[in-house]
Amino acid sequence: MRLLINGRHHEIEHGDEPLLWVLRDELGLTGTRYGCGVGICGCCTVLLAGRPTRSCQLTAAEVGERPVVTLEGLAERGPDGKVVALHPVQQAFVETPLQCGWCLPGHVMTAVALLARDPDPDEATIAEAASPNLCRCGGYNTIKAAVARAAELAREA
Amino acid sequence: MNGGDTAPSEPDARPSRWRVARRQLLIGAGATVGSLLVGVPIALEYGRPSLARWMLERGTGPAEIPESSLVWFELTGDGVTLHVPKIEMGQGIHTALAQVAAEELRVRPERLAVVQADTARGYPAATLFTFGSTSVASLYTPIREAAAAVRAMLAVEAARQLSVEPQALTTVDGAFQVAGTDRVLTYTEVIAAHQGPWQEPAERPALRPAGEFTSIGRSVPRVDFRAKVLGEATYGYDARLPGMGYGAFAVPPRFGAQLESAEPGDVAAMPGVQQVVIDVEAGFAGVVADTRTRAWAAARALRTTWSEGSRVDTGALERQVTAGDGVVLRRDGSIRDALSQGRIVQAEYRTPLAAHAHLEPLAALARVEPGPAGKVELWVPTQSPESVLEDVRAALGEERAVVVHVTQLGGSFGRKGGQHLAVEAARLSAATGRPVHVGWTRDTDLRQAFYRPPTHTRMRGSVGPDGMIRGVEQVSAAGDIIWAVAGLPEPVRSIIGFDPGGLLGLFLPYDLPAYRLVNRREQLPVPTGPWRGLGLMPNTFALESFFDELAEAAGTDPLTYRLAHLRESGEQGERLRTVLRTAARMAGWSESLPAGRGRGIACSGDARTVVAVVAEVDLSGGRLRVTGVDVAVDCGLVVNPAGAKLQAQGSVVMGLSSALREELRIDDGQVVSDNFDSYPILTMADTPPVRVTFVGGGEAPYGMGEPVVGPVPAAVANAVRAAGGPRLRSLPLRL
Repeated sequence: MRLLINGRHHEIEHGDEPLLWVLRDELGLTGTRYGCGVGICGCCTVLLAGRPTRSCQLTAAEVGERPVVTLEGLAERGPDGKVVALHPVQQAFVETPLQCGWCLPGHVMTAVALLARDPDPDEATIAEAASPNLCRCGGYNTIKAAVARAAELAREA
Repeated sequence: MNGGDTAPSEPDARPSRWRVARRQLLIGAGATVGSLLVGVPIALEYGRPSLARWMLERGTGPAEIPESSLVWFELTGDGVTLHVPKIEMGQGIHTALAQVAAEELRVRPERLAVVQADTARGYPAATLFTFGSTSVASLYTPIREAAAAVRAMLAVEAARQLSVEPQALTTVDGAFQVAGTDRVLTYTEVIAAHQGPWQEPAERPALRPAGEFTSIGRSVPRVDFRAKVLGEATYGYDARLPGMGYGAFAVPPRFGAQLESAEPGDVAAMPGVQQVVIDVEAGFAGVVADTRTRAWAAARALRTTWSEGSRVDTGALERQVTAGDGVVLRRDGSIRDALSQGRIVQAEYRTPLAAHAHLEPLAALARVEPGPAGKVELWVPTQSPESVLEDVRAALGEERAVVVHVTQLGGSFGRKGGQHLAVEAARLSAATGRPVHVGWTRDTDLRQAFYRPPTHTRMRGSVGPDGMIRGVEQVSAAGDIIWAVAGLPEPVRSIIGFDPGGLLGLFLPYDLPAYRLVNRREQLPVPTGPWRGLGLMPNTFALESFFDELAEAAGTDPLTYRLAHLRESGEQGERLRTVLRTAARMAGWSESLPAGRGRGIACSGDARTVVAVVAEVDLSGGRLRVTGVDVAVDCGLVVNPAGAKLQAQGSVVMGLSSALREELRIDDGQVVSDNFDSYPILTMADTPPVRVTFVGGGEAPYGMGEPVVGPVPAAVANAVRAAGGPRLRSLPLRL
């Protein structure tokens, strides 16, 4: 079967496996992270048809034709694949980094979805969207600041 | 560049020959023409000074303190690469160390690439061990001196090439300029035009005065974060090699259970299973499969039998950890006299087993070449490559050459310094002849871990008629920390009677006429070990909670009471008074709060850093909510304020998580808190604003990775009491 990942179709072998492992291990997109396997921690969050989705909680077959976007699909790239410009959310997290970064992809994907539906979220809205995702390094206040900064960057762009 | 460099690859070209120059500066011939390699040998400040002294005096420390090329610079046409031994797990140390080097090299810190050392690049593995909030503090001066020497060496050569005196040169961002002219030579041009051996500068180059710093003290961007936001950084769980299989292995059903038998059963016929590897003598039964979930399923299906192991539960563990007799570690004045008069206050405190719960579960990738002496190469997220190396050699054969590459770490907090999956990955790779990656599930990661040991502390104190403390007796017991990871035979540990890691945070900073400190280690049937700050947080919880109980007995404000008892404590006392006053001012300590709300204060010292924390709580509705935290830190010189602030804020969140949530439950010899539903950690919704102020300054940076976690739970418990709530004496705090 095939999946539509980051705007490109990929033939995949293990449709019965959770999307998380197909992304990481079949396609080498290790920017989507395993943290708990039960949909709590949020490290494996991808965009499924634009919605933040725990990729450990559904199989590749269940994804079907719906488009998937992962951390690797956010930056603007030139014809040679080189990064031309970071996504505003990525840029914000470069300016306002977290610590270890393992939870980062989940927070980035969640923020991308939030800003797509609300380009100017207040702090409570940011917190509500980001709260389901864990960060063991304790960067919660930084994440709020980074998402607010991302909204600012997106509006300027 | 850092982050992407840890992907499996052939080890980088390393200096093939080091030439020891006059002052032991190492000048190397690089693999690339026109490159310059300069290394600096550093006698590693091996651990926190007190612990190091303690271990060395007793001859129980590492066989020798490593002294070797710990930091080296590589200057090529592409720029400057700084090779550092210390491991990035989120502390931001690679950025801080790049800043320190850039300062003396006089280049913008953004132009420096940082490369994580591995055991193949000229480092003894022990020098990579990253622990105890020591990395920046211990490398700060050596890196500056090495960088200054490199720059001076280049300046002499540049002056020769330009036919001027070195004094006529000014340095701007990696280039020399003849003052008052437009004649400029970049470092790269100087190196390219140089012939013959490099000469170390005749005189020790002067270091830049702090007043002229342009890099140290600035919040420069993290060197590792661009790769991380692009998904290009390689963590242990991400390490890949062509032709790799996924490994998994059977784990014991209870603590202490040993493998008695193992049969493949139908596992070999399960989909995707490539090989079953059983070695009962080594206690190992594992599989290699074509996908990770198939490997996990196959490992679960192996027919294994185990010895019974321990059937301990949380209650039995807590009963075992009961303060009583132990080793008298300190005896000031007469505690008997002090406690026979005045107003006697006594209380006991408990902290539970807790997990590290780093979000990246343990993982390792191994490639083992065939034959009994085949080379072993490992990619491991570890704080301690040396222990990985030793364990793999012990398991696969001492004659093997073993190389450990350190990947990025998705959090660690002490956990990735001890047990790890490298041995299991290597066994599977050796048996199958292909590279094997092993990654744990979350539940296995929580069940097969070691944990922050439970503690129990009995405090007794007396308050004199003048309201001042007459004496304090502190008797504590805790599970092992250092003994769990240090190679020391059990009889010796028993004779010593206490664990040095359990001492952090134990010594009262206050001036007391009498003080008696008794501590005992308890060998538990559950593995325990280092957790961020070791004994610091559990001990500070008991000590600083009790200090408030004494203040309450004396009818004195807790801040005033602390300041009054820190008068004679010398520099440490003065620094503590400063952070206490600062945190109190930040929090508006003297302003009154509505009913049901309260503020609590606590302080501690660790890794030469001192910290005070004020927590504000709201008990309305019968629920404990922390509404704000103010932190004042004196960690000496702050190399990167943004990075240090992240460490402080993160430590507060981890401390709050321990204060409010975390308690690892064990039943019938097995962890039952085995995922984030049964082992909840603090979420964003429960995280209050955290304000941080640095008050230190001075010439040298101190530790910043752990100290701030120390006073957090005590500050919260004290705030609960101040808000009119009960005195809570065990973690997690429950109304």
